[in-house]
Amino acid sequence: MAVDGEIADVFVVEAGSDLAASSRYASWRADWDEAIRAGLRFSRGMNFGLSQLWNEQKFGNYEAFLLLPNDVEFSEGSILRPLVHDLDMHSKIGIISPCSDQWGERNLIPEAGVRYFWFIHNTALMLRREFIQSIANFEAADYMNFLFDGRNFRGYACEMELIAKAYANDWAAAISRKVSVRKNETHLLSKADLIKTEPYEENLLLYIEEGRRWLRQKYGFNSRWSMQLYTKYFYDKFFEFHPELQEFKI
Amino acid sequence: MLIASRRQIDSDEFGGGYVEHWTTREFASYIRENDKRGNIFLARDHGGPWQNPAEISASLGLRDAMESAKRSYAADIDAGFQILHIDPSIDPYGSPRTEDVLDRVFELYEFCCSYAGQKNREVAFEIGTEEQSGTTSSQQELRETLKQVFEFTEANDLPGPSFVVVQTGTRVMEARNVGTFDSPIRVVGEVPAEILLPKMIEICNSFKILMKEHNTDYLSDESLAWHPRLGIHSANVAPEFGVAESRAFLNLCREQGRSDLGDQFLQISLDSQKWKKWMLPNSLASDEARAIIAGHYIFSDERFMSIKQSLQDHCSKKAIEVDSFLRSAVKTAVMRYVSLFRLAN
Repeated sequence: MAVDGEIADVFVVEAGSDLAASSRYASWRADWDEAIRAGLRFSRGMNFGLSQLWNEQKFGNYEAFLLLPNDVEFSEGSILRPLVHDLDMHSKIGIISPCSDQWGERNLIPEAGVRYFWFIHNTALMLRREFIQSIANFEAADYMNFLFDGRNFRGYACEMELIAKAYANDWAAAISRKVSVRKNETHLLSKADLIKTEPYEENLLLYIEEGRRWLRQKYGFNSRWSMQLYTKYFYDKFFEFHPELQEFKI
Repeated sequence: MLIASRRQIDSDEFGGGYVEHWTTREFASYIRENDKRGNIFLARDHGGPWQNPAEISASLGLRDAMESAKRSYAADIDAGFQILHIDPSIDPYGSPRTEDVLDRVFELYEFCCSYAGQKNREVAFEIGTEEQSGTTSSQQELRETLKQVFEFTEANDLPGPSFVVVQTGTRVMEARNVGTFDSPIRVVGEVPAEILLPKMIEICNSFKILMKEHNTDYLSDESLAWHPRLGIHSANVAPEFGVAESRAFLNLCREQGRSDLGDQFLQISLDSQKWKKWMLPNSLASDEARAIIAGHYIFSDERFMSIKQSLQDHCSKKAIEVDSFLRSAVKTAVMRYVSLFRLAN
């Protein structure tokens, strides 16, 4: 925030069970039994934060929201300005993600450039407010329903669903090489007991199992490939409708 | 399609390959005799200079290696091979530039077309290489390669290639597929198959060339079942079937109370060191797992044949035919693909 502080506010969702170890920067605390017992994870955590902003009538104060889990690290320098600049330059982008030097996609994007994708990992997603407004559940603005489907607890494939909703509603999802991001899983790998979560391998299995079950129950999709083709269909249609953006298609 | 690499099957000049020590001619004759319905296509996998280890150990230079590769292709065409993979990507003297690889492709392509014409044979071509990197062929590389190859074939009035090897996110290490195709989570440094695959298929379709996936082994049933639906035209499977045969042999030895024979097989295979190229860095695989990975490289070894004969002698009392047992195991492995690719009910 030393770099981008003047153009951003930071909100922290705290869902830890150990009050003594809670973040002193917490904006809101998930204090109900289930959250204390199991935590919130990505989908519920982001829903909780965003819905709190909505319920506190602060949502409209912002043009975009950068969703960050706590194991995300950025390269030095400004994070927000380049991404906001990309949003300004690309009015159809609803979701933009920084790129990682660990991603092969890096080679598909020109240096400091932007390309539109139908598949992006949810490491650090910046969402345009208008995009959220076009798909969010304002009737149930809570940690289960606001933007992501909270029934998918660990969130496998939740970003696929978000991107599908974007293209289905005439918004694009992009990766920008102006900002570099990296997930630091060291804590999950070596300090799972302190975080009071499952060990890495177990968490991974549950993440995939739960996500697959959710895909099946919600969409009748038995494979991630079904979701991919579903999203890719809308992606291709987007460019039929916006041929002027063809140069950003991968 | 039965697709033999030059290590597996090669012409008399190279003393055959490690599969039954067959020469190209012997291999083709065997298939013709046994392919009663004429369903099998014979194909060369990774033909080209230095693709036979003998060309490397003889320290052949480029010219000699190219001539040697041409003689190998000529033997393929003489034997009735119908699909030839032109892959001059190997060079023991350093990584060749793309232009150099393409020049070699063109020279070999032209030679094969001309030789096949002289012999009144019809051959189809496969181009490209996979190198098992996971994402070797970037979209740009693939598009440029196809563009140049088709320009070459059109300019020279040659038939265009039928297949191109494309990376789809498959990669075989040890006895599993570690690429992105089967991985629901990110593989560091690689483009997720979710992105890579549709793009590669789009490019192949735009050039009206069939995509050939290499390293399909060990993919899950779910992934295989998606192949035809995703538009993957053909897939190459190799070590999985060899491993199925090795496992079946070992199991039979143990079931029949002849673990001693199984142990001998494992030891010869382990000593062959042929498993080395398949191992992951810092692998924790046991000696048995390593030996099973390399088992098929020693099926033609006299020591193995003697072990197999001993097992057959032992099993004969119970009317078990070892070869038939092994065939059945390989058939089961093959049928998984046939069924999931919906090639048969």
